[in-house]
Amino acid sequence: MSTNDVTLRVENVTKRFGEFTAVDDLSFDVRAGRVFGFLGPNGAGKTTTIRMIVGITAPDEGSIELFGQRMSARMQDRVGYLPEERGLYKKMKVVDQLRYFAALKDIAGAEADRRIDKWLERMGLAEWKTKKTTDLSKGMQQKIQFISTVLHDPDLLILDEPFSGLDPVNVEFMIDVLAEFKTKEKTVIFSTHLMETAERLCHDILLINRSKKVIGGSLREVKSSYRKNLISLRAVGGEEVLDDNNYIEKITEHADEKQILLGDGVDPQVLLRSLIDAGASVSKFEQIEPSLNDIFIDAVEG
Amino acid sequence: MKKFFAVVKHEYKKIVLRWAFLLGTLLFPVLGLCFAFVPALIFSIKGEPTRIVIVDPSNKIAPRLRSNLSTEAVAEKNSETVKTLPVNLHSSQTDRIKDGARSAAEEFIFVDYSAAGKTPDQIRKELTEKAVAKEIDAYLLIPVNFEAPDAKFEFLSRKAGDFVAGDQLKDALNQAVRSQRLADANIDEKAVRNLMKDVDLDSKSIDEKGREKDSGALLAASFVVGLMIYLTLTIYGQIILGAVVEEKETRIAEILFSSARPFELMLGKLVGVGLAGLTQLGIWVVSLSVIVAFVAVQADLSPLLVGLPHITPLMVLYFLLFFLLGYFLYASIFALIGSMVTTVQEGGQFAFPPIMILLTGFYLSFAVIRDPNSTLSFWASIAPFFAPITMPVRILAETPPFWQIALSIGTNVLAIAFVVWLASRVYRVGMLMYGKRATIPEVLKWIRQA
Repeated sequence: MSTNDVTLRVENVTKRFGEFTAVDDLSFDVRAGRVFGFLGPNGAGKTTTIRMIVGITAPDEGSIELFGQRMSARMQDRVGYLPEERGLYKKMKVVDQLRYFAALKDIAGAEADRRIDKWLERMGLAEWKTKKTTDLSKGMQQKIQFISTVLHDPDLLILDEPFSGLDPVNVEFMIDVLAEFKTKEKTVIFSTHLMETAERLCHDILLINRSKKVIGGSLREVKSSYRKNLISLRAVGGEEVLDDNNYIEKITEHADEKQILLGDGVDPQVLLRSLIDAGASVSKFEQIEPSLNDIFIDAVEG
Repeated sequence: MKKFFAVVKHEYKKIVLRWAFLLGTLLFPVLGLCFAFVPALIFSIKGEPTRIVIVDPSNKIAPRLRSNLSTEAVAEKNSETVKTLPVNLHSSQTDRIKDGARSAAEEFIFVDYSAAGKTPDQIRKELTEKAVAKEIDAYLLIPVNFEAPDAKFEFLSRKAGDFVAGDQLKDALNQAVRSQRLADANIDEKAVRNLMKDVDLDSKSIDEKGREKDSGALLAASFVVGLMIYLTLTIYGQIILGAVVEEKETRIAEILFSSARPFELMLGKLVGVGLAGLTQLGIWVVSLSVIVAFVAVQADLSPLLVGLPHITPLMVLYFLLFFLLGYFLYASIFALIGSMVTTVQEGGQFAFPPIMILLTGFYLSFAVIRDPNSTLSFWASIAPFFAPITMPVRILAETPPFWQIALSIGTNVLAIAFVVWLASRVYRVGMLMYGKRATIPEVLKWIRQA
């Protein structure tokens, strides 16, 4: 993998606030044109890390490289950032706010107006252009905030909890909008608590907990590395096989099936064969892949 | 720099394109005019004529009193009062109201009443009944021994609150009794009046270059200048505080900080709001000049303008310059406070100390007006935080040597550099701290942090 493919490289970054270490020796790469899920429980250090990436604060130790260069103020124009805690000017017209945010990213004049119109149209908010924030619903405000982060057509989009406060219909809508970014070879980093959404959208993930990296890599890699020897079984008979504790660690009873956790290195085929040999009638025998949610909970609690 | 100007433009438009700005800009001069003219206007409205009974057993005072209260006599007195009115700036507000009141000719209707053969108690009783029945409004009892120093005159009125009528009657009565006493002593009243006439004292001060200045008008103009700077600094400081708190409260700061440097953002905000303030002051200065010029054209009022102090364009320039110095000093402090607190209300509490300093500066300007060359005036107009108010006042009262003005500008520019540096350090961290108000030790830590 050449450096050109890396949009963001975080190397051994540490950030302290007095005694408290918010980010501890964190390293990861975000590859160009990928959707990167930045996951972790509250207080894990996600927002602090993101703030360092967008240049709001500087790391105490380590380095952050964007597009192959050290982070600098000039670089900010290529990044679009939607913070978790966000807002709009209360008594200002939508179009004026968007013009201001665009101007701060060095897009002004007719070009800014053209983009604003295009995006308002795309979001179905064209008729709200001259309305004030106080006239908008919460969902509409969220969309305006999103527009403000993409107006300058950033190469890297960082979204901190982008779906909070949106109803399911709008979540789907936003996912569609994000999909367009994916096709445009833009890099997206997004942080969320919603593991299902992350699983749907992300190519790569990074999970951090208590200021430290827990797991990272492509979704596939992470899942296979976390794969546990878990079997979902629906069968009649063969109880004596299941009572044999030699290779079964734990059985969880579900409504009409059992989840069987096999010991490390035990071949599931052995279990299946033993069951059939014992005369059991097996209607379901499935190796379960852990969900991101399971991995998250396991990593955070474990 | 482009982003800095984007911030300046944004902040400027945010204020200037609001109704409140237009309203404030127009309202301030209108309020000023009201303050000056409304009291006089209100009291110039004539009340109902007062129906009065004069009981004068000697029949010496009543005729004189009647003639003193006649319309012609009152009008003549008014014209005298008006002549002294505009120059009389030292008089208190009550005096001014009374002056205004006197210019209104109160009408009296004299009701005949025969007091012959009645005891004073009877008279009193009968007249009080008439007053209660609203047949008359007031009655005046003149004692027989009116020449005596301890003579007691009685005035009873249904309209006790009408001090205009009361004052007018008292004046007229005094004059009538005085005239009668003079006549009794065989002294020519006209001769006495000429002898007792007030001197025409034209009070002017001389500046160091020997030029004459009208002290009364100067005092008023200096006061107006001091007040104008004090008010605009307070108002625009509060605007900065509100704008900063809004960006913090709504978390817009986080988006802004990801687009531009905090220092650029803060300075852009200060400059943008400052330009809005300058615009407002500019409009006031221009409109004031236009009004003065317009009044000057109206021939009959031009004598009033002679008394105005001579204001040069350089003074106006100094005035605006010192406004800007004061603005950047105080606005930086308000920006600092805004980034420390979480709500506007909290900001209000912390805004108290700088406003106290501003107020002290405003009060010091009185000392400067009284004696522009005292040691106190010198230091007050050099010291940062006070100078933005006191120096323009001093320049107007009596322009100090240029080196003092330059020194004052210098100390304040240094103070601004320090305060802006301090504020930018707090701003950068404070704007991203949500949830609770920063404590002073925390703020000190932010300042020390690299």
